Amino acid sequence: MKSTFSFVLSILLLTGLSLIVEETQAIPSFARKYKTSCSTCHYAFPKLNAFGKAFKNNGYRYPAGQDPEMTKEEPVSLGADAYKKVWPNAIWPSDIPGTEPIAINAIGRFHYDNAVNNSKSGYFEIPSVFDFFYGGTLGDKISYFGEVELTNTADVEYQFAVNYDFAPGFHLKVGKIGLEDATPDHLTLTATDYNVGSLQNQSGTWQLTDGAGGGMQLWGAVNGPGGKGGLTYSVGIGNGQSDVTNFDLNKKKDVYGRVTYKIGGLGETGGTEGQASNQSAFYIDNSLRFGGFAYSGTAISDSTTDKFSVVGGDIDWWFQRLNLTALVMQMKSKYLGKDRTSLAYFIEGNYVIYPWLIGRARYEYTDTDIHDNSNQVANNILPGIVVMLRANVRLSLEYLKPLDKSRKADDSLIFQFNFAF
Amino acid sequence: MLIYKLLKGICSLIENLRVNKGTKKMKLLMYITITVLMSINTAYAGDIIGTVKATGTKDSGNAIIFLEKVEGKTFSPPAEHAVMNQKNLTFIPHVLPVVVGTTVDFQNSDDVLHNVFTPDKCADNFNLGTWPKGQIRSFTFKNPGCRPVLLCKVHPEMEGYVVVLETPYFAVSNKDGSYSIKNVPPGTYTISIWHEKLKGASVKITVPGTGSVTQDFEIKK
Repeated sequence: MKSTFSFVLSILLLTGLSLIVEETQAIPSFARKYKTSCSTCHYAFPKLNAFGKAFKNNGYRYPAGQDPEMTKEEPVSLGADAYKKVWPNAIWPSDIPGTEPIAINAIGRFHYDNAVNNSKSGYFEIPSVFDFFYGGTLGDKISYFGEVELTNTADVEYQFAVNYDFAPGFHLKVGKIGLEDATPDHLTLTATDYNVGSLQNQSGTWQLTDGAGGGMQLWGAVNGPGGKGGLTYSVGIGNGQSDVTNFDLNKKKDVYGRVTYKIGGLGETGGTEGQASNQSAFYIDNSLRFGGFAYSGTAISDSTTDKFSVVGGDIDWWFQRLNLTALVMQMKSKYLGKDRTSLAYFIEGNYVIYPWLIGRARYEYTDTDIHDNSNQVANNILPGIVVMLRANVRLSLEYLKPLDKSRKADDSLIFQFNFAF
Repeated sequence: MLIYKLLKGICSLIENLRVNKGTKKMKLLMYITITVLMSINTAYAGDIIGTVKATGTKDSGNAIIFLEKVEGKTFSPPAEHAVMNQKNLTFIPHVLPVVVGTTVDFQNSDDVLHNVFTPDKCADNFNLGTWPKGQIRSFTFKNPGCRPVLLCKVHPEMEGYVVVLETPYFAVSNKDGSYSIKNVPPGTYTISIWHEKLKGASVKITVPGTGSVTQDFEIKK
């Protein structure tokens, strides 16, 4: 670890990379808890592999009730298990992690684009941001996950959610909620956000990655026939548009729902049933997953209501070393008497050349108003490469190439460095 | 082994003799003879005991101490398979010494997917794939001197070793470094020590016909 750190520091000094923010869910505290590698749960952090998703679907626990024996970092008991027999004449027993379950993710980037004085130049962001993550379980029914993001612009962003885990098929989540699984900006390997996640309503007051703010969500997952694949669902209600202190800015609540079905591959809640194979790797999960989602919300800008809705669908196909993901989304927004329909989609491919070397490319299309022919669409391709120096140290290089002639000069290059510990 | 089988056969013969005055005396005489022979036979096996002091590791366990060869003898692998378990994301045992030709059963005892493969050519770079909890996949280790590392493609932190030996005279050191190899025929041998991270060593040792001989090892990087 020491040599890795020295190497990383050397790279930082040599290239002058900055540390910048990115939403992510790489949680080395889980690696410490179970004494297992990041790649047990991650294809390449923060992108989850099939087991990582199953772990999450179990409420951040090992599948099939194996969590206690898999936990190698002894938790601190908050009451003997037998106190369950004494209830209601005692507090229900629980436990907390043996060490503080905090993890840090630092991300650095070097940009080469025309953002400065509208001419091509390279620049750094130093120093920038640290993300503090905390995630874990409290006993066998409660789990939690949160993040505090400190940026070099003195911004502090934070989110937190607690789950009551009745069963893998039924969880109640309270806290920051949303359709994060549909537009997993926090799970992408690129520095550039997914276009669908940053598509805004007309008033510019909401985008999918903002989620539904504070609220409640019911969600769960079940395995399919033979223990393979399966169903996931989530329905939620939340404040929607909120201010920085998380207060609801309008009286209307936002609602959303999502359902996916996976054919083949590891069961959505894990386990080993039906998993015999002659090959194995943490990045392989031969399967096809379909998803659909809808969101309806209300936002206010300058006392004017922006009523908007979103519908979309996505596909996640894994075959050997290849992973193809595609998502299409339509947004309708009614604001200042105008109805606007937007369309955005992307298709992304990742190919594992070696477990530490991933070639990737994304094509994205965004049309903010499909009925306005004068409206400019964004039509980009983003080839790139990811190098896992270690399971917790990631380098990536990506190039954004606009395919529209009018935006030809907006191409950009980003070198990114992630360091999670 | 031959003497033991011979004595066992004789004992069986004696038990089947009809009991009468003549045979009673004869039986007694034969038992005495057998006891003497047994004593002689027992006298032809000694023990090797000792302590391993490992520097540069957490403890002195998981070193394998073994006789390189017994001149003029080859040993058949046991009919029973050896077992390497995968439990709680670890290989159990961490190191498994086997006689050449032994088949090892790899069992998944976790409710998560496991894989077993080795990058070592001496074990044919085998990759056994993935299999459910409770099931077993096997591999026969045919190359003496091979010490393949076992890895899991699903859990990179998992690591185990099979050490393929030419004789059944071996032991795995305990955490405190102690070890013992029982019932070694008397003679002079080369005894060696192997450790996954530390340098091995070999010395000549003479095993007595009775009692034990002590051979300690100090190993480091």
